[in-house]
Amino acid sequence: MIENTVIKIGSWAIDIRNGVKDFSLFIKSIVTSFKSLRYIRFRSLYTIIINQTRFTGVDALSIVIIIALLLGATVIIQALTSLPKFGVEGFLGNLLVIIIARELGPLATTLIVIARSGSAIATEISVQKWSKEILAMELMGIDTKLFIVFPRIIASILSIMGLIIIFDVVAFIGGYLIALTVIYIPMDTFGQTLIDSFTFKDITAALAKSILFGIAVPLICCYYGFKPNSKFEIPIFVSKAVIRTLFVAIIVNIAISTIFYLI
Amino acid sequence: MEELILEVKNVKYTRDGVTLLNNISFSLKKGEAMVIFGTEDSGISHLFDVIIRGDVSFEGDVLYKGSSIKELDYFSLMEYKEEIGYLHGDYGLISNLSVEQNISLPLEYHSSLSGAEIKNYVNKLIFDLNLDHCKKLRPFQLSRSEILKTAFARSIANEPDLLYLEHAFENQCYLNIITIFDILKKRIARKDKSLIIVTYRPENFIDIANRFIMFFNGRIVFEGSKDEFLYSQNPYLIQYKTNNPEGPMVIL
Repeated sequence: MIENTVIKIGSWAIDIRNGVKDFSLFIKSIVTSFKSLRYIRFRSLYTIIINQTRFTGVDALSIVIIIALLLGATVIIQALTSLPKFGVEGFLGNLLVIIIARELGPLATTLIVIARSGSAIATEISVQKWSKEILAMELMGIDTKLFIVFPRIIASILSIMGLIIIFDVVAFIGGYLIALTVIYIPMDTFGQTLIDSFTFKDITAALAKSILFGIAVPLICCYYGFKPNSKFEIPIFVSKAVIRTLFVAIIVNIAISTIFYLI
Repeated sequence: MEELILEVKNVKYTRDGVTLLNNISFSLKKGEAMVIFGTEDSGISHLFDVIIRGDVSFEGDVLYKGSSIKELDYFSLMEYKEEIGYLHGDYGLISNLSVEQNISLPLEYHSSLSGAEIKNYVNKLIFDLNLDHCKKLRPFQLSRSEILKTAFARSIANEPDLLYLEHAFENQCYLNIITIFDILKKRIARKDKSLIIVTYRPENFIDIANRFIMFFNGRIVFEGSKDEFLYSQNPYLIQYKTNNPEGPMVIL
């Protein structure tokens, strides 16, 4: 019994080590491919960046706005009704900035991007590999790591950064308007509280998260997209891509939050 | 002496303990069109690994324009692939790009032509191959011959000195792709462009090719000119041409 458990833990640890090693090699190959930038014409990447930004950013706007409204309203209503009970209503602005701008905005936006675009990236690359589109590109002398991964990273950073800003603005303004139906607080008071609470650190933390999420999401999803060797493996690796990107996103979120609280 | 574009020298290629190519040697001159044929698993499909991929290990050497492809680094290998036009039977058209975008992809990526020049050049290729009616369509909306013609246009877009067509014409109606054969004939007439066709149906390329090589069990069992292909009494060739299960080749 104990022996089996030890064996399972050992094999699990070996799997993790091999996975990390393989992912490191993938990142190394991407870094190597950056050297190809001097051989290519940027125009061939430009269209992909535009299309990916439209899909990841613009097309996700509606769902991001709806979720921002709902989450913003929930947080604002809870804060407005609960804080006075503890006599700390003076911290309303700080609390909203911390919860919405620094934590909820980046994480919720990234979760939406993972669910929409992360799964799409992994599926698209898997299918391209299976239908030998990637092989065809390689045989044209196209550096597929650069051509496929690099534009998606750029598009993802731009999209996540833009979506986080929109999420925060909608969550604060829309959430406030919805909260008015439950509890009244003058708009100028609410606005001034928020402005007073925002610090450079909050903006830097949100920015750092958007950049790191923007790199991590396409990187992990592309990694799993390149993995399937047959058609039946595609759903397996797409599922792995989504779950592991979610896991990494939460870890990154905690890590950055901790670093910024310690600074 | 005519200039060689490709030399395959004593190549022995082994994978997972199985010898796939055994002591293969042949060369291709500029302006020459060669048909490589043989049964399934004869080794014709593994030539791709040593000639085109360039990243597998094998004994012997492959020289392209006099330089060994074994010595190419990461970026030189990219440039080598850029110089060779390759078309395989799966075609590999990019599914989210239209016909004209697929054809212009290698030019957009590699060439120093302006956007307008690329457009004009691609439009000419589209016109030559009768693809005008479908140039805005994506691969899933195309017929089989249109897919082949698009992939073919893409493979020659960079004006490669060596064009390598692997099982590209199998399962195609030859009447629908006659424009491809016209372009191939014009290319061969230029004397600076070479062609390798890997196929199970060598007789379909008699009008184009001037050399024929037959593989069996990873070895070359016949090599000759068009006339030798037509009239040789080589037992392997006769068995292949007559589809006879009896002969020197044991077909599983």
